[in-house]
Formats: sequence, structure tokens, C-alpha cells
Amino acid sequence: MIRTGTRYRLLALFVLPALAVYVAFSVYPLISSVVLSFFDSGTQGSSTFVGFGNYVHLFTDKYSSERFFNALGNNVEFFLIHLFVEVPIGLLMAALLTSHSIRRSRGVYRTLLFIPATLSVVIVGFLWRLIINPLWGLVSFPLLGDSHTALPTISLMSVWEYVGIPMIFLYTALIAIPDDILEASRIDGAKAWATFWRIKFPLIAPQFGLIAILTYIWTFNGFDIVYALNGSAPGPNYSTDILGTLFYRTFFGSSGQVADLDLGATIASVIFFIILVTTAAYFVVLQRRIKTYEL
Amino acid sequence: MRSKLAPIAAIAVATIGLTLAGCSAGGTTGSSGSVTTITFGNWRVEDQALWEENVIPAFEKAHPEIKVTYQPTGTNDYNAAIQSQVDSGTGPDVIMCRPFDVNRAWIDKGYFDDLKSLPGIDGFTPTALGAWTGANNDPYCVPIASVLAGFYYNKTIFTELGLKIPTTMAEFTAVLQAIKDNGKYTPLALGSADGWQLSYNVLDSIGPNYWKGEDGRLGLIDGTKKLTDPDFVAAFQAVSDLKSYMPDGYQSLKYEDQMQLFTLGKAAIMADGSWDVTAATATGLDIGVFAPPVVKAGDQRYLQEMPDQGVGLNAGSKNKDAANTFLSWLASSDFQSIYVDKVPGFFSMGSAPVTYTNALAQEFADLKTDALLTPRLQLDRLSAGTPPLDDDTWAVLQTVFNDGVSAADATAKLQADLDSWYKPAN
Repeated sequence: MIRTGTRYRLLALFVLPALAVYVAFSVYPLISSVVLSFFDSGTQGSSTFVGFGNYVHLFTDKYSSERFFNALGNNVEFFLIHLFVEVPIGLLMAALLTSHSIRRSRGVYRTLLFIPATLSVVIVGFLWRLIINPLWGLVSFPLLGDSHTALPTISLMSVWEYVGIPMIFLYTALIAIPDDILEASRIDGAKAWATFWRIKFPLIAPQFGLIAILTYIWTFNGFDIVYALNGSAPGPNYSTDILGTLFYRTFFGSSGQVADLDLGATIASVIFFIILVTTAAYFVVLQRRIKTYEL
Repeated sequence: MRSKLAPIAAIAVATIGLTLAGCSAGGTTGSSGSVTTITFGNWRVEDQALWEENVIPAFEKAHPEIKVTYQPTGTNDYNAAIQSQVDSGTGPDVIMCRPFDVNRAWIDKGYFDDLKSLPGIDGFTPTALGAWTGANNDPYCVPIASVLAGFYYNKTIFTELGLKIPTTMAEFTAVLQAIKDNGKYTPLALGSADGWQLSYNVLDSIGPNYWKGEDGRLGLIDGTKKLTDPDFVAAFQAVSDLKSYMPDGYQSLKYEDQMQLFTLGKAAIMADGSWDVTAATATGLDIGVFAPPVVKAGDQRYLQEMPDQGVGLNAGSKNKDAANTFLSWLASSDFQSIYVDKVPGFFSMGSAPVTYTNALAQEFADLKTDALLTPRLQLDRLSAGTPPLDDDTWAVLQTVFNDGVSAADATAKLQADLDSWYKPAN
């Protein structure tokens, strides 16, 4: 029998290594980045505290705010396309995989559908750019060159790549439904369609909240697919600029632009704040109200 | 239990051992006295082998007491990397300088030592040094390479269709039209998916003939000229007129696509910079270059010569004597003849003539004869605020090509954006 004091000491001992690594590589950089956003580094390497000056500049300066709100709007569109295209397709795939219409090779299909999610974004971008290339591809319309179609096109490439992830979430939820419930519904005379919408769907509904919030976090942290396709000043005319690329361009500069570390840190903090507030709100407000059934 | 932990322990011991070895190795080089090691920070990752095998050995042979470490960072992260290193006192001894405004900001931040008394710096013209001068007009970096821009053309296609190299814009349009009418080849390999390329290789290439090179460029800087002046609008119009000779779907064609189109022999002419001389000839086609045509026959010809790489001395360096020796060597023709000949497509900025073994590079260098040289329009002072004229031009030119914005509207927007922050000195 270990005494309580010793137990806490042991607990601390076991938690400490992970905690130290987490603090050193995650918490500390995060805090120092937020701190950096309150400073303005001038000439001669000096740095002065400016309070919320960088934030005021970001939200009110004619040029900076235009770029920021443009990126924010694009990011919302990027998220909504993911949510409303990726999740229904993922649900359809998961439903087909668990239905009895596929009798054999279920594992093969599952693997095939998930493979794109394991590919590098650079490869996905390259493949799709070739497929829709007006010179040698399948589509003669310059999808990526038109400011109305460019962002939806990139979003759909990303959907194609990551559709396996909601599918796997929903698939695991679907196969977790006990057979006796489904058998009972069959005995009661329910057809496949009714069984799915009245029995299975309510049981997997809590998954949608989780998928939505994960998609939200991924898309608002998004950067790679846009950068791989269109670089850090994503055109045409910034129509595919999202928060990640705006941050990159500001923080790292470009051959003709001085790197603005302070404003970059400000943008990073704003992105962090947007994600934090929404995620917290989701967990506090929504997650508790989602009805779960005891199986 | 013991056997399971053994490999981990071994790795731990090995790591500690290596770290200690690393420290002690670092210690001996520093303290051996007779040999000083200096580091050279730059963004030319792709030239590492060239510098380490050709350039640095030539220097170390002449100066055995100095060793040079080549320390490249990818070009996208270069500005942020150098800024954080120099600010924290760990910057390299000599630093490759970005041209114009980025470097001017770095000079203002106190990153560099003044080089006006460096032996050899007087071998450069004020125009060559101009990309790297401070507010006091003193040079802060040794210019080591510039790039040019022009039009590559496929000689076989020109012979087949009986075309001559155009020297005026009217002839240029006639040539493009003839290729288009023939229908077998794309007249101009050019896509508008990359804004920088429209700006640097098209507008800044044919534009100087309209705004008269330095006249127009310096006029914008001192406020005597505006982008809405007829010369500039005409230049934008000339760029916009190229649309009808570009491949279908050019709106989403990238820089790589146009190079592919050209090197596969499917396009007759390509607008590009001199840095692509190797890529353009990679498939063995017979390629030549011609200069951006003048507006009217008999006009003075202008050519874009863009200062690309300079090298400056870190003000916080602890090995300034050795670094100065190195910089002084970089200013000599010994270095220039090795360097620009090994990196085809880059050109020496010194006054001493240099010959190039690469035939196409020599052809490019020959375009400089009789032409007045001018750097890119947007980069000097006009990009030191937000929105920078540089980035703004990329985006606005893209709207000209992709959304059908007129030359007049495009120049009006650029001038309005510039007026929002730029105040000419006088």
C-alpha cells in the first residue's frame, strides 16, 4: 500500500518528462509568439512595447486589414466547402462500406479510399495541377486562373485528399453499433434506408460535432495545399490567400519584402485566438447538448 | 531488464560523446590562431557545390590563413533567418545582400559596415553599387552578380516560318501574328498564374523602352513622374496586348508550364530571365535570345539588368579583417571570371570585361552592347512601405491578364496605392 503523499510524488515524477517536453516545445513558443505580437522592433535591433498597437494596425490599416479580412473570408469559404462536401461524401462511403451491398473486399475499398490521406500534399497538388492543366490536362478552362473558381478548386483537391478521415470516424462509429439493435429493427420490418436514418444515424450523430470541429481546426491552420499550388502570394489577385499563407508571407517576407516578425506574430496570435474561442465555445455550448444514447 | 535498456543507454552515451566531440572540435578551430574561419550566409542553396569546389578553394589558395564556410538558407526563409540571427548576435561574418529596399532596411537596422574604403570597391560604377547603398549613398555590399531578361526564341521554328528577329514592337507583333496565323506553334510561351513573372520578365523587360529606363524609374522615385503618365500606360498596354498570342488557358499556366511548352519545341518565343539559360537549352533545341524590341525604329534601346547578389560585412562580426580580405577578393576580376562563368545566366557587374563559355549566356551578355541598363522598376524605394509596389504590381498585372482590367485602370490603382504611403524626397 503506497501512502497518498508518495503516490502524488510518483504521479508528478511520471508526468514530469512529458510535461517538460510539452512546455518546452509547445507552450513556451506559443507564449513567446504572443508576447512578440505586443512589441515593435525598430531600427538598430531595438524593440519597444506597443500594447495592442500591432492588432490595431492589422484590423484598421487600409492595406493590412484588406489583406487580413480577405484571407479570413477565404478561410471561412475553405472551411465551409470542406464541411459540406467532405462530410457527406465521407458519410456515404462509410454507410456503403458497412452496408451489406459490399460483401467482399471491404478492407480493400476502405484502404483505397483512405490512401489519398496518406499522400504528401505536394504530390496531391502536383497531380491535380497536371490533371486540370489547360495545356495537357483534361479541362481546358483555367480553373486555377479564375478568381471565382480558384479557391473552390483548391478546396476540392483538399477534400479529395482528406475525405478518408471523416469516413474512418463514421465507419468506426457505424461498426460499433451492436448487431442486436439492427436485428431488432429488421424483425420490426424496417428496410435498409429506414434502418440507416432512424437507427444508425442517430447513434453516430455525436461524431459529426467532433468531425466539424476537427475540420475547423485543420482548415484554419491550413497552409500547405495553397502554398504547394500557388506559393506564398496566392493568386490570382489574392483570391486563394488564407490565414496560413498571409502569416507566412508576413512573417518570413519574400525576396522583395522585409520579414515583419511582429506583425507575423500578431497574425499567428489572431489565428490561435480564432481557433481557441470557437473550439472552447463548441465544447462548452454544443458538446454537452448533443444527445447520446447508451448502448 | 538490463538488456532492454542497453541500446538506449548506448545511444545516450554516443549522443553525449558526439556532442562533446563537436564542442571540442569547434573549440580548436577557433583557438588555433593562424587560421581564421569566416562564415558566408546566403540564399543560394543550389550553388553550394560550385562555391565549395571552385570559388572558395581559389580564395583559400590565395589566402591560406582564412577558411570560408558556405552557409546557405532557402531563399524563402532567408530574410527571416538572417534577421533573427543578426539580431541575436549569431549572424554569419559576411552576408549576401538582397537588392534595394530589403537591404536598405537592413542597413538602417545597422546590420552592415560601410564598405566605402574597401580595396576594389572602386571597380564598380555607381549604378552597379546603387542597389546596395545606404541613405548616405555609401556602398554597403560588393555586387557579385546581376540577371538580365529578354526573349528566348526557337531558331528552328524561326527558320521554318522564315521569320526575322524583331527589333521594334511593330515587328514583334508581326512576328507573333505570323506564328499565330501559321497555327502550328504557340507564338508566346507565357502564363499568368505567377504574378512575379509577369512583372519581372514581361513588364520590366519591354517596359523600359517605353518609360526610357532610368528616366522613368528615377522619375517615379523623385515624384516627377507618375504611373498614370502616357509612357507607363503604353507599357502596360503593350504587355496586355500580348494576351492574344499566349497559349489557351494561360490564366492558370505557371512558370514551369511555359518552360515545358518551350523546351518541347511547341512554342516559338518565351519571355524569361537569363537565369534560365541552362533550363531552356536542356532538351537540346537550337535556342537564341533577342532583346526587348524598341517602340519605334531608331529609338535608344534599354535593357533590364537587375542586381541580384551583393555581399556585405556583418557589423557584429568578430573576424572583420579576414572578412574584409574575402570581400576585397570578391570585388576582383579573379573572382568574377570564376563565378559568373560557372553559374550561366548570372552576369558580372564589374567594369572589367568577362567572357562566358556558355554560348547562350554570351549571347545574353552581348545584348548589353549599345543598350542603356536599368534595374526593375518597382524595387528601389517604391517597395519600402505597404503595399509594396512590387507585390502590388504582381497582383494588378494578374488582374490585367485574368480579369480583363484595362491598362489605364491598372496604372491608376498602382499609383493610388503608391500615393497612399510614398512621399518623394523633394
